[in-house]
Amino acid sequence: METAHGYNKGLMAKKKTTRKALLSGNEALAYGAYEAGLGVACAYPGTPSTEILETLAKFPAIDAQWSVNEKVAYEVALGAAVSGVRSLFACKHVGLNVAMDPLMTSSYTGVNAGFVIVVADDPGMHSSQNEQDTRWVALYSKMPLLEPSSPAEAKEYIKEAFKISERYDTPVMVRVTTRVSHTKEDVLLKKRETVKKGKLEKNAAKYVMVPGHAYQRHIFIEKRLRKLASLSERTRLNRIESGDGKIGFITSSVAYQYLKDRYPDASYLKLGMSYPFCDEKIRAFAKTVKKLFVVEELDPFLEEHIKTLGIKFTAKDPSFRIGELNPELMPEIVAGRVKKEKKVVKRKPRLCAGCPHWASFAALKKMDAFVAGDIGCYTLACLPPTSALHTCVCMGAGVTFHEGIRKGGSKKKIVGVVGDSTFVHSGVTGLINAAYNQVKGVILILDNSTTAMTGGQQNPATGLTIRNEPTKKLILEDLCRACGADNVDVIDPMNVKAFAAILEKRINEDALSVVISRHPCRLIKRRV
Amino acid sequence: MNDKVYSITFGGIGGQGVLKASEICGWAALYAGYHIKKSEVHGMAQRGGSVESHLRFGKQVYSPLISTAGADYLVCFHHDEHPRLKGFLKKGGADLTASLDKVEAAVDNPRCVNTCLVGVLSTMLTIDQKCWMRAIETVFKKAVVAENKRIFRMGRDIGLS
Repeated sequence: METAHGYNKGLMAKKKTTRKALLSGNEALAYGAYEAGLGVACAYPGTPSTEILETLAKFPAIDAQWSVNEKVAYEVALGAAVSGVRSLFACKHVGLNVAMDPLMTSSYTGVNAGFVIVVADDPGMHSSQNEQDTRWVALYSKMPLLEPSSPAEAKEYIKEAFKISERYDTPVMVRVTTRVSHTKEDVLLKKRETVKKGKLEKNAAKYVMVPGHAYQRHIFIEKRLRKLASLSERTRLNRIESGDGKIGFITSSVAYQYLKDRYPDASYLKLGMSYPFCDEKIRAFAKTVKKLFVVEELDPFLEEHIKTLGIKFTAKDPSFRIGELNPELMPEIVAGRVKKEKKVVKRKPRLCAGCPHWASFAALKKMDAFVAGDIGCYTLACLPPTSALHTCVCMGAGVTFHEGIRKGGSKKKIVGVVGDSTFVHSGVTGLINAAYNQVKGVILILDNSTTAMTGGQQNPATGLTIRNEPTKKLILEDLCRACGADNVDVIDPMNVKAFAAILEKRINEDALSVVISRHPCRLIKRRV
Repeated sequence: MNDKVYSITFGGIGGQGVLKASEICGWAALYAGYHIKKSEVHGMAQRGGSVESHLRFGKQVYSPLISTAGADYLVCFHHDEHPRLKGFLKKGGADLTASLDKVEAAVDNPRCVNTCLVGVLSTMLTIDQKCWMRAIETVFKKAVVAENKRIFRMGRDIGLS
């Protein structure tokens, strides 16, 4: 048996009979997909989803890649599924937004081999810029949605997802949350299934989405949804656990685990396939309990639908739609209370000692520049004592916000800031836009030669693949010149004086300049 | 195996090896045949911020999170974090912060405080010594296994003294 994790290599060697391992939800998803015969896996790193691809890359049988961004990852994985190989796309919730364009139409094309979208939401925003509930994407795109509540379930559900994908000709969403992704549980490891590859066939009516073809596929989708709804009624993923009948919970994901701790005698309808909804099962379950509660994390996804069924139940106060749930909140929700906002005094994250970003931002602070920021470790420069980053919305926006903010005509010095990985992710299109639209100003690429915030993944500008194998290296300075930047300077921000001088010079010129502030992340240095 | 679920809260700041400590315990519990749930934090929070890991094991564990006054043991690696974490401890639960100074004084390398404090903890749990050794072999790179076993035993001696 091939094993991915360093741990298990040791584990297996020592005792052949035990096949248990302590896996995180993300590792369990990877092992489950591997066992399901996965062939191709693509992602862009993003907490809490990063370890899915990192684990998959350890299996030589899987063609795994860090893609340039989520849209690219999605399309490569979908293409692989159309070619007949089981494939997977993994992302964090906001990463799914980047992939929405191919996602919506892939519901129409369907697949030729199993295609699974794993999306990790971040309730409580441990490491994210918003708290969106991606379950709505299943409803919006008319795709089935599975919601495991633990690592052991994640491993089992992802296998089911591949089967559903192939049986119903649809991409399948598997939605986890930080608390599922980053919980570890003992799980059983099994052998890899041998799956037959599909044949690549020309089928324009299915894969060329022009209006006429798409209309026909929309008819197919609506039929598929009805069939999937029928599956949702039958599947063991939607499980009734009969208790004493006094109170019953309809719940999904980790909220189920929190409830089980507090209300072990209650009845449960535990939804593992939460879309399409299993209306008949919900109705039948409601009849068996005296008092019914619907408890779910974040948005009222189940709640709003169950209301339309005309069933009487109690749901959480809207104040609990904000933030992560935990076992202590369960009695509060059941009692119908309003959430009390607690002030937790926690040590806040900050840039590491000796991080090159300190130097870059010290110069920006001295200039008193208005800094359009991006997503990365350097976003932490918004915090005191630096307080020198003034916007952060999404990846790539450091470049485009810079352009937009200039439109206001402010006399302030305006600088756009982006990382090396995020520049490649989606900053490059903004730079082309700026050049094309004759924008002037300074874009600072903070090139620490890694994707640091998510733990140091490779990207095209590092010249190494997900498996740390050498590959074509993207030369950022050449790319910036090709995009139309008038000046491109490469400088180490640790050369404090020279760095400040370059910035000052470029900001006062009537030109579009890129300054590449290049100094490797301290953490990758240490690893080598 | 009885129905008791053991809950241990680990805490400290990024870089102290909080997750490694809970990882050793998790594997030891796995080798002892328990069902395990262990929560962690990754990503942004690890950049020098507060790090917390909850470990629960027993015959059947549901919630991966420990509630206020729900931990049997509190393993804290930084005195600054203690005021925030002490609320997790049950009435009558064991607070290993008491051993932190002793452990810090005993080890030469501050990076080994985690393994040593886990050694102290091991004296309070009914997990077999063999399981702990196997856990250390699983969690650490080969080159540092022997050293960590030595430090773990040092922790055991502190725990038993």
